[in-house]
Amino acid sequence: MSIQSTTPQPLDPTTLPDHDNVPGNAYAYCVRLTQPLFMQTGRMIAYYPAPGGQGIRFEPLMATSLTGMVAERFSSPLYSRDWVVANGSAHVILGDRGFDINSYDLDQGNLTVRAANLLAFDASLELKESIIPGFLTLIGTGKFLASSSGPVIFVEPPIRVDPEALVGWADCPAPSLHFDAGWMGHFLGAARGALLGTRSGEERQYDFTGAGTVLLQSSERMMEDPQVLRRLEGEVDGLGTGQLQRLQQVIQSRLMQQQQ
Amino acid sequence: MNWRLQGSKVLVVDLNGDAVRAASGSMVAYEGDIAFKSAGTGGGGGLRAALMQRVAGESLNLMECRGRGTLHLAVSAMDVVLVELAGEELRAESEQLLALSEGLRTEVVFAGLQGATSGQGLFTTKVTGHGPLALLSAGGPPIALRVTPQAPLVVDPQAFIASRGRLSQTFVTDVSWRNLAGEGSGEAFSLRFEGDGVVYVQPEERG
Repeated sequence: MSIQSTTPQPLDPTTLPDHDNVPGNAYAYCVRLTQPLFMQTGRMIAYYPAPGGQGIRFEPLMATSLTGMVAERFSSPLYSRDWVVANGSAHVILGDRGFDINSYDLDQGNLTVRAANLLAFDASLELKESIIPGFLTLIGTGKFLASSSGPVIFVEPPIRVDPEALVGWADCPAPSLHFDAGWMGHFLGAARGALLGTRSGEERQYDFTGAGTVLLQSSERMMEDPQVLRRLEGEVDGLGTGQLQRLQQVIQSRLMQQQQ
Repeated sequence: MNWRLQGSKVLVVDLNGDAVRAASGSMVAYEGDIAFKSAGTGGGGGLRAALMQRVAGESLNLMECRGRGTLHLAVSAMDVVLVELAGEELRAESEQLLALSEGLRTEVVFAGLQGATSGQGLFTTKVTGHGPLALLSAGGPPIALRVTPQAPLVVDPQAFIASRGRLSQTFVTDVSWRNLAGEGSGEAFSLRFEGDGVVYVQPEERG
């Protein structure tokens, strides 16, 4: 009986990196925690508490001992329930549903990233909600971790991208929505709304202009973003009875489509 | 018997009249003359064990593959980890077990009682004996983490694959971890390992 294999070499706090991907693994990342770190919930897979330390405390943003710092750095009520501040000393290993994980360094910069892809960021950075729904902007100097479905591709504007392939953008103005001219022609020519159900999925694009960098992922696999639902629920408040009934019809027809 | 990986996601076993127990439905191809039959739930130990499995949801559906030839095993494009046991004990999530050699015994063990929501980690499958076994890792290659008396380890139960060696496993239900697990998903407790051994985790959390 024999085994020919490369069983993974066991790692420990002395061999784990201080701030890098776990050796040979693009899908896991190790951070040596020494100062407060903002982390999205549900992204940590394991940690080694530092010897002699108190381990890590994970404090919800609503009830943290660092209220002043959090209020200053985390400027997004919408996302505050999905984030914690990790405090203590430890080696922390993060994973995100098998997505590639990369670290990014910001130096007096600003970068906007899809909220569901942002895993963690230094407390030296400032977080704000982007004007584009579902995206968060980081400003200042420090490191953050973000995931992508497949490796990240860096491109420069001017460029039009598929919304689902967009991971984020840096230094350039926020994108505008662009609709394919041919599709627009059809849309304007047809009875209003008749074409809304016949989208190919490619006629709607984000249009980037100016100087900067756009980050794309190589696959369009989407992650379900719980914020989309929360944001929609918030907007339902402003609707009248007729509009609510209309919304119910739309949801019912979508549900029927999905059940088929 | 020869065990090897083809790429990182397919386990290849050469059989010479001997047998291997593999997760039901994991055979993707074989050459030669191999017979497959259900090996039951693989827990061993009669009625009490069967009852525990029913309670725990920790059921291990295995098939016995016996004969001469080459067997190819894989599940859902998950990465495969090969481990050779030399008398020590391995505890694994049953759904992460791909294959066991004949010399290994499996048993469902009660691992502790805490406010578990999904049952994961509450019962585990204990593997003892001598020989190779293969585990599955979702979301990418597995990460092997060494535990020593100086370096205890805390693990998310949903990323846990297996532990091996002289380890004591405790459930930690601190409020702090509950915060991290997030709303509606995740476990309210973490697994803490102390002692001497290796813990395997995967980069994806089981849903």
